[in-house]
Parts: sequence; structure tokens; C-alpha cells
Amino acid sequence: MELKQNIRLSMLLALSVVLSIIESMIPFFNGYIPGLKLGLANTIILFILYSYSFKDAMYVSVLRVFLVGILRTGIFSQTFFFSLSGALLSGTAMYLTKRFTKLSIVGVSVVGSIFHSVGQVLVAIIIINTTNMIYYLPWLLLFSIPTGIIVGLISKEIVIYFEKELQN
Amino acid sequence: MNKNDLKLVLGLLVFSVFMIWLIVITKNTDQKTAKVYFENDLVLTIPLSQESKSTHKVNGFNGEVVIEVDNDKIRVVQEKSPLHLCSKQGWIKETYETIVCLPNKVVIEIEAADDVDAVIK
Repeated sequence: MELKQNIRLSMLLALSVVLSIIESMIPFFNGYIPGLKLGLANTIILFILYSYSFKDAMYVSVLRVFLVGILRTGIFSQTFFFSLSGALLSGTAMYLTKRFTKLSIVGVSVVGSIFHSVGQVLVAIIIINTTNMIYYLPWLLLFSIPTGIIVGLISKEIVIYFEKELQN
Repeated sequence: MNKNDLKLVLGLLVFSVFMIWLIVITKNTDQKTAKVYFENDLVLTIPLSQESKSTHKVNGFNGEVVIEVDNDKIRVVQEKSPLHLCSKQGWIKETYETIVCLPNKVVIEIEAADDVDAVIK
């Protein structure tokens, strides 16, 4: 049972890495507003959070950041720390929201999306020393709403689809 | 989506639109200066809002970063990076806008040209 779960989680990790890379190829989400992205990999993290546990979700989320760092942006680069802070903040926020509020998976996804943006801006202010980046936060928040809803709706379908499958 | 989700989404929508509105209406109309930083050090200061076009070159982490100024706006034209995010961002001209070239460690900020003067007025 343990082995089966580990294999499933590693496949989910691989999927989330692929989703991150595919997403960076979608032109609309490159540029215009710094830090804006769809967050497709978050569908996997949300699925794990709902179908497995918070611990598993955080493991996969952090490992994903390391793998994408190695494959694309360079590990321990500034971009890496942006992703890491986003992953840690949004993961924790989504867990707390799921645990302590009455929001559905869509609301939890929106909260994750928001905290991902907050994490990005915080790291921008700390690492690159530009307090001006705070002016982008309202824009990022505004776009976090539709992206959060889309990701939430996709995750909802995945969770329902695999509900029976996972009981075996 | 349940009722709580809807409340959250509406609340966030109102909040972010209000903040954007606030930032835009309080924009600075004075003379502006673009400041280019490399690894947190000021390397170039370009006065904006003059009738001129110019091109500047700054040394970034991965090589040359080419910056273009057109009257009151500024952009990055060319730079070496995996995603070219900062050249895709295009023109900026307000003090609340910033261009960040993360891989090149280059930041372009816009400031009101003379803060001291503004205080005296």
C-alpha cells in the first residue's frame, strides 16, 4: 500500500513538472505583468492536498520547485527562490483554508493563487530590493481570481474522477 | 463554487480594483527619471519626458542589456535570458511601474525627477 502510494506520488510529481514547463511556453502568461502565470501545476498540488495529505502535497510541491529549477531556470538562482516562496506560502495557505474555512476546493485554489502572488512580491522586495514591486500586487491579485477559479475547477474534476480509483 | 467562494471572489475583486484605481489616480505627473540598477547599484540615470529618442547599453549578468528611451517611456529591447520576460513587458512610463530582468540582475525604476523640488512647491 505504501509502495503504491509512493509510486502514485512520484508520477504526480513528474506531471506537475511537465505542467510547469508547458505553462511557461504559453505566450499570454509570459511578460506584461511580472510574475503572472496560470498555475497549472497547482492542480496537482490541490489534488494531493484533497486526496492524500498536506505533508505529501508539500513534499511534491517543494520537489517540483527543485526539479523545475534544475531543468529550466537554474537551481538556487533568484527565479528559484521566487518559485520556492510561492510554493511554500500558497501550500500552507491552502491547507489552512481547507482546514479552517467553509470554502470549497475552488475557493481554496483562489487563496493559493493569491498567496503565490503575495510570496512573489515579498521575495521581489527582499531579494531585488525594489519596494516599487508592491504596486504590481493589486494587478497580480486581480488576475489570481480567474486563474485560481480555473485551476480550482480543474482540480475539482480530478478529485471527483479519482475518488473511487484511490480507494483500491 | 459555493456561496463562501463567491463572497471571497467578490471581496477580492472589489479590493484589487479599488487598489488599482487608487494607484492610478495618485500617479505622479512631474518630470520623471528612469533609474537603472545592476545588482542593487545605480548604473544609469536617464531623464524622461524630453523630446528625444536614445538607446543605452548596460552590462547585465548574462551580457549586454539594451534599453530604449522614447520621449517619456522606457523599455528593454534586447537581453540574454531564458524567457525574455523583461523585453516582453514592453514600455513603462509611470512611477508605479518597474521592469525587472531577473536573470540579468537589472532593475529599471521610474522616480519623480526631483523630490526636493516637489516638497518646496
